[in-house]
Amino acid sequence: MRNVQELTWLLLLVLTPRTKGGLSRPGKPTLTSCRSPEKETFTCWWQPASDGGLPTTYALYYRKENSEIMYECPDYFTGGENSCFFNKNNTSIWVNYNITVVATNRLGSTFSDSVDVDVVYIVQPNPPENVSLSVMEDKGWPFLRVAWAPPRKADTRSGWITLIYELRIRSEGENEWETHVAGQQKLFNIFSLRSGGLYLVQVRCKPDHGFWSDWSSPSQIRFPEYFHQEKSAWIVTTAVCAFIFLIITWLLHMNHGSLKHCLLPPVPGPKIKGFDEQLLKKGKSEDIFNALVVSDFPMSWSSSSNSEDLLVELLEVYIPEERENMLGASKDLGGGSFKLESSTSDSDSGRGSCDSRTLLIEKCGRPKEHEDSAEERVEREDWEDARVDTGGRTWPSVFPGLPDRPQRSLSDGLSQVLGPSEGQVCKQIKARSDINIAVSGHKESPARWSVEYVGVQTVVNDDMVILQPWGSREGCTPLHSLQERDYSQVKQVGSDDTLLLLQKVSEGTADGREAGNMSQKSATCMNSTTATGGYVDAAAAFPMTTY
Amino acid sequence: MDKVVLFLSLVTLAGVSSQPIADNQRVFSIAVSRVQHLHLLAQALFLDFEGSLQMEDQRQLNKIFLQDFCNSDYIISPLDKHETQRSSVLKLLSISYRLVESWEFPSHSLSGGSSPRNQVPSKLSELKMGILLLIRANQDGAEMFSDSSPLQLAPYGNYYQSVADDESLKRTYELLACFKKDMHKVETYLTVAKCRLSPEANCTL
Repeated sequence: MRNVQELTWLLLLVLTPRTKGGLSRPGKPTLTSCRSPEKETFTCWWQPASDGGLPTTYALYYRKENSEIMYECPDYFTGGENSCFFNKNNTSIWVNYNITVVATNRLGSTFSDSVDVDVVYIVQPNPPENVSLSVMEDKGWPFLRVAWAPPRKADTRSGWITLIYELRIRSEGENEWETHVAGQQKLFNIFSLRSGGLYLVQVRCKPDHGFWSDWSSPSQIRFPEYFHQEKSAWIVTTAVCAFIFLIITWLLHMNHGSLKHCLLPPVPGPKIKGFDEQLLKKGKSEDIFNALVVSDFPMSWSSSSNSEDLLVELLEVYIPEERENMLGASKDLGGGSFKLESSTSDSDSGRGSCDSRTLLIEKCGRPKEHEDSAEERVEREDWEDARVDTGGRTWPSVFPGLPDRPQRSLSDGLSQVLGPSEGQVCKQIKARSDINIAVSGHKESPARWSVEYVGVQTVVNDDMVILQPWGSREGCTPLHSLQERDYSQVKQVGSDDTLLLLQKVSEGTADGREAGNMSQKSATCMNSTTATGGYVDAAAAFPMTTY
Repeated sequence: MDKVVLFLSLVTLAGVSSQPIADNQRVFSIAVSRVQHLHLLAQALFLDFEGSLQMEDQRQLNKIFLQDFCNSDYIISPLDKHETQRSSVLKLLSISYRLVESWEFPSHSLSGGSSPRNQVPSKLSELKMGILLLIRANQDGAEMFSDSSPLQLAPYGNYYQSVADDESLKRTYELLACFKKDMHKVETYLTVAKCRLSPEANCTL
């Protein structure tokens, strides 16, 4: 069959008259492609060759497999020029088509090469349609959603054709496309996109066994600027951190002192009462020390109202051993000036032997022992002044302030010093009693001093002190018991802070005897005094005046 | 009383048949995927063979192929969409079954360059079993198409073996081309049947 056909065509070619000149038979056309968009119809295109200078017509003939019948193309127009369109009625699937194109002009015909076509394998769908781009948000992060529809003619609903899709995207400035395979789904999400960029998207599809379609027309979309939100978040975060930093810096600055104090504690400086730094700066040491003295270390008459705190005051009056030295020293002191060493300002320093009771009894008691001896009397006679030992061995001055304070009465001082004690503490005053003076009334032998220990019970008048001998002080009888009371009257206040007591005898006995009795009593009391009371530094009782 | 019994039986049948629908779809999906794989396999075999041919032989074979026909041509099957959609699901399934069955034996002689040569017969038999299941699941009438096919197959079963071996190249080419075409047919029929039986009658995803 086929050979017959070919012979026929050859005869036609041979018998066709050939023209002379430029005209010739048409050239051999070629079938370029046959395509089916939906596996229901298909179209074949051919490329015509030279027409040979003559009007040429083209015809397409096809033959189905297992059939020798030649059919001509039913539709030359639907597919465009040089095309043949096979509609649904003329299209069979899984059937081989043998297609040939013939170009014919006045001079002859030319056949093209035959092409075998199975519609199933020439399916190339149209591009996807209705490509839509939208920006969606996923937990605050935007992404691009691409959606499309299958080409209109492809019947995917019934399953006749199965399409798989592919899309590509690029930003405006780039040249390379980023391709994504979407499978059979009709939407796709793209996440990794830059903000603020203009993007172009294209989609294409392919049947499971066929050709890829053309890319759809590019769809544009501008991605939103979501980094602005991020920027604002960064700005807020930075502002908060700066604020916190400023607060911490301010706190550190405010607590700089305390921190420094905590880490590097300052060395405590000397704290001395009455220590005036200004005077120190001036450089007058004397003034400084005097200031220290003035300060209420020995309680002042006026400042100290509660003299109860002071338990015991002692007025030390005794004959020193080193009489000559002290005479010299006493002469120096004879202006009423009293030199205080710097260390003597503190009565509690324990320097003097008389500060401690035991020592005081030892030392201070010695003159008493010598009292009866004549030699000592002579010594005492020579002794002019009440000794005030300033060598640090003794206790500082007894009444340093008295000569300079004539306005102050002794009783006031004593009352302040002694206070209205209820007799709990017996106050002792070491007084120098001028027995002879008391008896004689004048100072015949002013030097004959004797040291007695008496206790002051009360101050009766401004110048009257009720003394109590040591012996009677054992029980520290209260004030109201005046059985063995001796009254002493202060006769004179010595120039050099001495106190001359005028001993009066209440019962009118001889003073001398009384004194002797007293001395005896005092002697007896001496031993017992150690257990009683305490000594109060008179220097502490009376304020120190500056010298 | 009879009506009540009939009503109850219909209800139970409806209840029972609801579950097989889901299983039906599942089996259909499996069958479609298997036949798709077979088709791809056939396509690969064909392309390999075509690539190994000389150019001259290729042109000759193209011409030859038009004259010959496949062994499955006796099986009347819809050749376009209209016919396919007009056919019932059961008809499509039976045709698919016959097509697969027709290739069970000749597939042994399919020569492949690589290992898939021996896999084809086993895959075909598995596919045949799946299609049989689908037929039985969707059989609601007395139509038994599969009964007649073995009778027709026998005369043609030895068709390829009777040909001389000197035209082995041609035979191989024809075999591969026909195999590829038939697999594609089965794939199409099964896909259409599956889409028609899907709950929404819509295959679009």
